[in-house]
Amino acid sequence: MSEAAGVFDVVMVLGLLAVAAVALFHPRRLTAAAMFLVFGVLLAVVWAWLGAPDVAIAEAVLGAGVTGVLVMNAVTGNPMTAEETDRGRGRVTVRGYMLVAGILAAAVAVGLIGVLWDLAPATGTGTLVDRNVADSGVSHPVTAVLLNFRNYDTLLEIAVLAAAAVGALALRPPGTRMPQLRHDSGPLGAMVRLVVPVLALVLGWLLVAGSTRPGGAFQAGALLAGALLMLYLAGIGPTRRLQRWTGPVLLLGLAVFLALAAGTAAIGGGWLVLDADWAGPVIVALEAVLMISIGTTLAVLLMTMDQINSAARGLPGVPAWYSAERSGAGAALQDGENDAR
Amino acid sequence: MTHGDVFGLLAAGLVVLAVVRLLTAGDLVRRVIALNIASGGVLMVLVLVAAHSEPPDSVLHALALTGIVITVSVTGLALVLIRRIESPEHGEQPHDNEVPPDADHDDGPHDEHIQGAHGGGP
Repeated sequence: MSEAAGVFDVVMVLGLLAVAAVALFHPRRLTAAAMFLVFGVLLAVVWAWLGAPDVAIAEAVLGAGVTGVLVMNAVTGNPMTAEETDRGRGRVTVRGYMLVAGILAAAVAVGLIGVLWDLAPATGTGTLVDRNVADSGVSHPVTAVLLNFRNYDTLLEIAVLAAAAVGALALRPPGTRMPQLRHDSGPLGAMVRLVVPVLALVLGWLLVAGSTRPGGAFQAGALLAGALLMLYLAGIGPTRRLQRWTGPVLLLGLAVFLALAAGTAAIGGGWLVLDADWAGPVIVALEAVLMISIGTTLAVLLMTMDQINSAARGLPGVPAWYSAERSGAGAALQDGENDAR
Repeated sequence: MTHGDVFGLLAAGLVVLAVVRLLTAGDLVRRVIALNIASGGVLMVLVLVAAHSEPPDSVLHALALTGIVITVSVTGLALVLIRRIESPEHGEQPHDNEVPPDADHDDGPHDEHIQGAHGGGP
């Protein structure tokens, strides 16, 4: 960390600043969203460069992948907002606001740099983890922290994810349903049939690899969300019977985690205290359940966005009153919708 | 200037740009993007602190990972909310055989735009 800054450092820093500036200040939403995608990819490279491979994988699949799709879908899903510019939406033009915002932002940045100088030599938590990692049941320190030493954090993180998914589902317009998916037999369908089995293999490996090296439930869960979304785009969605299980699957991870907490308390070790003898298998099993819930949660967020988009455009999957009112042709489309898949 | 200093400045720069935008943007999607970029800057400080010890501090890496997951959840929920706020029907369920209420109460200059978008249904 003490070596002098190289050419790569300077290029990455300037590139990230430029991309962030365009994403933040370009008046068109679509350009901003595209630049934000690029920003996520560059950031993942920086994490790897700074020696944080776990964070890099998570950023690549979650920060760049899932967030990118969410933002792009929010911007392009509705033709009326794609071309929208900042000027159209109550843009703040008062100079005073800009000045106050600049001062506040500078204060935050000074605080951050202070943290960097102050905390840098003295955290010491890393050595504590390295000394005790043998008792955690896994050999990769980041996984040991996430699922053993500080698993309260992870429990609450899963609770936040569940709350986000339930909130998104609750925000659907009344009558929104899973659209009538049409099986894609073209190149997209062929590619998805080829890629999804490979993705399944990779996410299984990522999940198990988390015990010994960078990887784990969150990265695998994000890949699962990607796989589910690809299937959805190719017209392969859950059947109506499976859709009824969405709610329980969303909450499964949280429920199992809470059950584990209660179980360890009952055995006598204390809340979420894992014994070194059986911690390893329990952590992998917990991660597998968490992966399913995380993947479903992210996929539900994406699909909810898509359904709200198609509802607004009067496409299949919208309440019949909506598109029937807008154009006669819409009604015909709706009729086919009742044939359950 | 060392390797770490350069990225420290980048973290500060990202936070300054993003916080200014977060506080001054009128566009809701832009605020969400600004929040994400600011969180990138903050996580960079965590990762830089972690990189000061050898091997890197795994507690801070785990914190950064948690931060990414929380940011994605917040972003997802915020974008669904924005989508509902900007959708013309505002979630009002009309009675059967009745025309749903129109979105006239939304930002005036955009009304024609909204109508045009609907005309292009299936």
